[in-house]
Amino acid sequence: MLELDGVGYGYEGAPHALRDVSLRIDAKQLVALAGPNGSGKSTLLKLAARVLMPHAGIVRFDGRALKEWNGKEYARRVGYLPQDPDPTFPMKAIDVVVSGRAPFLGRFTWESDADFEAAEEALALCDASPLAERYLDEMSGGERKRVFLARVLAAKPQLILLDEPLAALDVSHVQQFSALLRDVVDRTGATVVFAAHDLNWAAAYSDRMLVMQRGALALHAPPSEVLRTEVVRALFGFEGMTVETNGRKWIVPKT
Amino acid sequence: MRIEDDEETKSRDGAREPRIAKPSSILNPQSSILLVALLLSIALALATGATKLSLTALWQGDEIAKAIFFSLRLPRVLLGALVGATLATAGITFQTLLRNPLADPFILGVSGGAAAGAAVSTALGWARVPGLVPLVAFVGACGATGVVFLLARRREHTDPTRLLLSGLVLNAFFSAVILFSFALSRQSDLTAALRWMMGTLFGATWTNVALLAILLAVALAVLSWIANDLRMLVFGEEDARSRGVDVERIKLIGFLTGSVVTGAAVAVSGIIGFVGLLVPHLIRLIWRRDFRHLLPLSAIGGAILVVLADLLSRSLVAFSELPIGAFTALLGVPFFLSLLRRER
Repeated sequence: MLELDGVGYGYEGAPHALRDVSLRIDAKQLVALAGPNGSGKSTLLKLAARVLMPHAGIVRFDGRALKEWNGKEYARRVGYLPQDPDPTFPMKAIDVVVSGRAPFLGRFTWESDADFEAAEEALALCDASPLAERYLDEMSGGERKRVFLARVLAAKPQLILLDEPLAALDVSHVQQFSALLRDVVDRTGATVVFAAHDLNWAAAYSDRMLVMQRGALALHAPPSEVLRTEVVRALFGFEGMTVETNGRKWIVPKT
Repeated sequence: MRIEDDEETKSRDGAREPRIAKPSSILNPQSSILLVALLLSIALALATGATKLSLTALWQGDEIAKAIFFSLRLPRVLLGALVGATLATAGITFQTLLRNPLADPFILGVSGGAAAGAAVSTALGWARVPGLVPLVAFVGACGATGVVFLLARRREHTDPTRLLLSGLVLNAFFSAVILFSFALSRQSDLTAALRWMMGTLFGATWTNVALLAILLAVALAVLSWIANDLRMLVFGEEDARSRGVDVERIKLIGFLTGSVVTGAAVAVSGIIGFVGLLVPHLIRLIWRRDFRHLLPLSAIGGAILVVLADLLSRSLVAFSELPIGAFTALLGVPFFLSLLRRER
């Protein structure tokens, strides 16, 4: 459903933030986007979200180049969650979530009952229904993450792009949220691509992994092929060893 | 376990059906309360003045009563309401666009540009030509906004921080121009200029009322037209762009609309501070909703504040008019602080 063909992007001071990236992501998959800080994960997500336009190459969704898509039409199919979303002024969770329906609204129109139903459904899917009437600034980091995921889900997108959704969560919330992402893919049939710098949690529930290195795509493989000592050494410069519990691989420091 | 959760949510949904306040029309309870308050404020302002007006005299067609009411009091009160609505509209627009709670209508150099225009034309002695100083002030306001915009624009992108800084620096430059102009002005011209700088509705005309009413109506229509997109900017520009919002276009339309109406308000009433900053915050402290709700509520709130402030400024002492800007602050600040305390 999402295709990148020789995609490049540069910023002022970082002309090669992304270099010649080609890849294809299929439907109904949980895809983890891993790689060291500054390897181009966020840039890749922004290009896929139509927030940035590529300087080289083509990004396609459903076979059509992104610049040919109308912004609102695209936003109805592809949802994006930036790293630290913050609405500046105090807002209720339900208002935040229902604002995810914005791409469906015309001018001079308000959200309909159907939009609020979609918002409540999304909150329920994220186990966040009790938060509906609470204000964002009174919530914990984990609760806010759920609300913002619900905001993306409210539009019922086919492709969901999440930038570092596990950052700043404690370990039990990381586990819950990773499982939630798996759940979203299984229950809605959407494809989720999420950036994560913790290799183990990136791998834990995902179907495929994309590993970035200095702006290039270094590896596109199932998690079991990424969590190998020689691969981790080559890509991250990390001396580790793998341990297996309940059929799941983890990479830990070599003692 | 999850299935149980879902059922629980559903049954709760049934019970709490009306919990989401869905503002499907402009005439929701909030705006109705404010509209009634505005009408009461206007009635009070019309009934109060240096000359006592009796309703019966007015009804019987007493010439003096009619003249005072229709050529002095009514245009002045209406102009006050319009100026307040305009400043609060610009305030809520700039706060949303800049994602900055400290933004006010004057932040992009509008007040500085207008004041410098007025000061320079006063120094040149143009104050003796009626209508010329407001016109130059309006041109100064629009010119200042244009310059701020050009300064902040880089690679087809207008950076909010650069906008704020450019406005700040330009206002400092205008302060220098104003000081020079005043030093070179005639003493007799200076009094009027100073009064204008402090904000006044003295000498309000029906022409001003009509002009500002038309501009405000156009601005409200334009802002409502882009409101669905504009409100998304509070989540950040990248988030808004991912929702299909043409961010640069919305910013340009929003800033220009806000600046032009502010320029017009300043031209007819001088510099009335605090309204554009305080009113949107007051409204937001009472009803914490998004830009689409806050826009009409702020406009009505701003109108109330300026009508009441003007009423105090012209009726507290008999021999002179006190600056409105002082009263907008005197009325707004305690109210604001008490709300803020209740918040905590």
